Amino acid sequence: MQNPDLQALITTLQMAGLTTVILLILGTPLAWYLAKMTSRFKVVIEAVVALPLVLPPTVLGFYLLIAFSPEYLPGQLWQQATGQQLAFSFSAIVIGSVLYSLPFVVQPLQKAFEQLGDNLLEAGAVLGAGPFDRFFHIVLPLTKASFITAASLGFAHTVGEFGVILMIGGNIPGETRVLSIALFDHVEAFDYAKAHLLAISLLISSMILLSAVYLINLPKKHRNVNSVGADK
Amino acid sequence: MTTDDTCSTLPPESQKSFDNLLCLDINIHYENFRLALKQDIPLTGITGIFGHSGSGKSTLLRAIAGLEPKTQGQITLANKPLLNSNGALVLKSEQRGVGLVFQNSRLFPHLSVMKNLNFASKRCKNSTLTLNEIIELTGLTPLLNTPVTALSGGQQQRVALARAILAEPQLLLLDEPLSALDQQSKAQLLNLITTIQQRLSLPILYVSHSLDELQQVCDNLLVLTNNTAIMTKKSANEHSAFFGNIHHMIHQLTQRQYQAIDSTVQGNIIQPQTSLALPILSTNNGHGLAVISLQKQQILLPSSQLVFAEKITAERLVGQPLRCFILASDISICLTEPHNSSIVNQLQGTINNIKKDNTKVLLSIDCDAQEFFVSISAYSQNKLALKQGQSVFLQFKASAVRTFLN
Repeated sequence: MQNPDLQALITTLQMAGLTTVILLILGTPLAWYLAKMTSRFKVVIEAVVALPLVLPPTVLGFYLLIAFSPEYLPGQLWQQATGQQLAFSFSAIVIGSVLYSLPFVVQPLQKAFEQLGDNLLEAGAVLGAGPFDRFFHIVLPLTKASFITAASLGFAHTVGEFGVILMIGGNIPGETRVLSIALFDHVEAFDYAKAHLLAISLLISSMILLSAVYLINLPKKHRNVNSVGADK
Repeated sequence: MTTDDTCSTLPPESQKSFDNLLCLDINIHYENFRLALKQDIPLTGITGIFGHSGSGKSTLLRAIAGLEPKTQGQITLANKPLLNSNGALVLKSEQRGVGLVFQNSRLFPHLSVMKNLNFASKRCKNSTLTLNEIIELTGLTPLLNTPVTALSGGQQQRVALARAILAEPQLLLLDEPLSALDQQSKAQLLNLITTIQQRLSLPILYVSHSLDELQQVCDNLLVLTNNTAIMTKKSANEHSAFFGNIHHMIHQLTQRQYQAIDSTVQGNIIQPQTSLALPILSTNNGHGLAVISLQKQQILLPSSQLVFAEKITAERLVGQPLRCFILASDISICLTEPHNSSIVNQLQGTINNIKKDNTKVLLSIDCDAQEFFVSISAYSQNKLALKQGQSVFLQFKASAVRTFLN
């Protein structure tokens, strides 16, 4: 029989890992679009993206719970497509995490793209590089640090999620029982020894991850991009 | 009127003759800015684009390179349509075969010099140029592994120039390439640009707000003023008047200063001057003066003005044309041959034309079939009572003969 806390750890890593991958795939074009956008609607989209920063997680969780239930369209469509209920599933907590951690990935990327500007991209274009070529050989190498930051923050924030998961995932071992929920369980059961163990390991691993992020961003911070590529 | 037509309006069979033309018929409109231009530019040598800031010089280059999405109209490069808003054709920058060197080199900061050059050569389909050839031509061999952020401004522009050439464009655009450099780097880069143009027979459009710079290297000149190219005005004469041979254009601009009738010419766009390209007879006559020749007469100038072509030995400079200019205000007029003067240059000529402004007079004087401009005060004109056809002597110091170095 597997240690339930170890199982919760595995579920947590799976959820956070998958969420981070999805966020990078969806967040990069969204951040690019926002960085290049000049329309007035930009602020509206930015506000929507930033909403999870200020909204109580339970509010988001509550609406997602309703949307994911078989009585409503998203839940219905999911059930038709997969044959399984969406609410209280691993998929539900991944979707919830993607929405909840969206600003942590989109905002650093958007800022990096804005800072990079168009100068070097124009230079690339007149040298014969197409849009994807420019992205992979100019944008990506020059914003690498921001991508690492975005991925780390997205991952860490997803690991630390509680309210949304409690609302839409419940507490199913091996499916939706993640570390933060397991910790809550131990406290409820007055098993403070196990609670301490989980709490301190979450604290230390988050600390290490964040230190690594700040370390990556510390030394050169694209200083060079501005001195060579800046206009006038 | 056939010479006035752009290639886009002609039937296909007659397009053969446009192999060597850049045909522009464009309109760019922003809130406070409008550039309308219809001009064919021959794809030979270096064509300067001149005008004061805000006249749309850079915007024009960006439009040709495909970096101005709001450009309307037609652009055709050697029969290859780059833009045709009627036919909804907008070729992307990366497909135009047009190179652009920016004012601020825009090197990729994450790549070394070598990798910046590779970026261009890897994406080039023809690859008739070898990388080593260009590295040698631009003198970049010792810098190849240097991070581009460690380069000086002049070195950065050399890399940018090499990188642009390695993409093997059909047309190279230079947008104020010298403006951020010190005087010595300017002279070096200007020299390099001329060498590149000649070695690779690559047509170049060169934007600058400095006429000195353009005077040194350009074959032709296009003048833009007041957001509208002067020659887009109705008459065909004006059309031809503002695109043409560089020396001719400088003379046109000089004369225009004295006919303030044309409102499109705003203020003093240039200092009235004579622009010359004369063969060098001697680089040093023993007294630190170089000699260049008109048909029968000679002009002396300080040898230091020749430093521009520093890589060439003095002997090889002899016979080469030297480009120089003399400001109209630096020449004086004498009715009799001056014998007792420290002023070394004394040319005999005939007054061709006299143009009067309120306080100043511009004389156009023919010396050995070369037109010289002399500006004198209305007071002197009164005193000397100069007339058209009169024979006079021009006097100017050796140091009044200037090149870009001055």
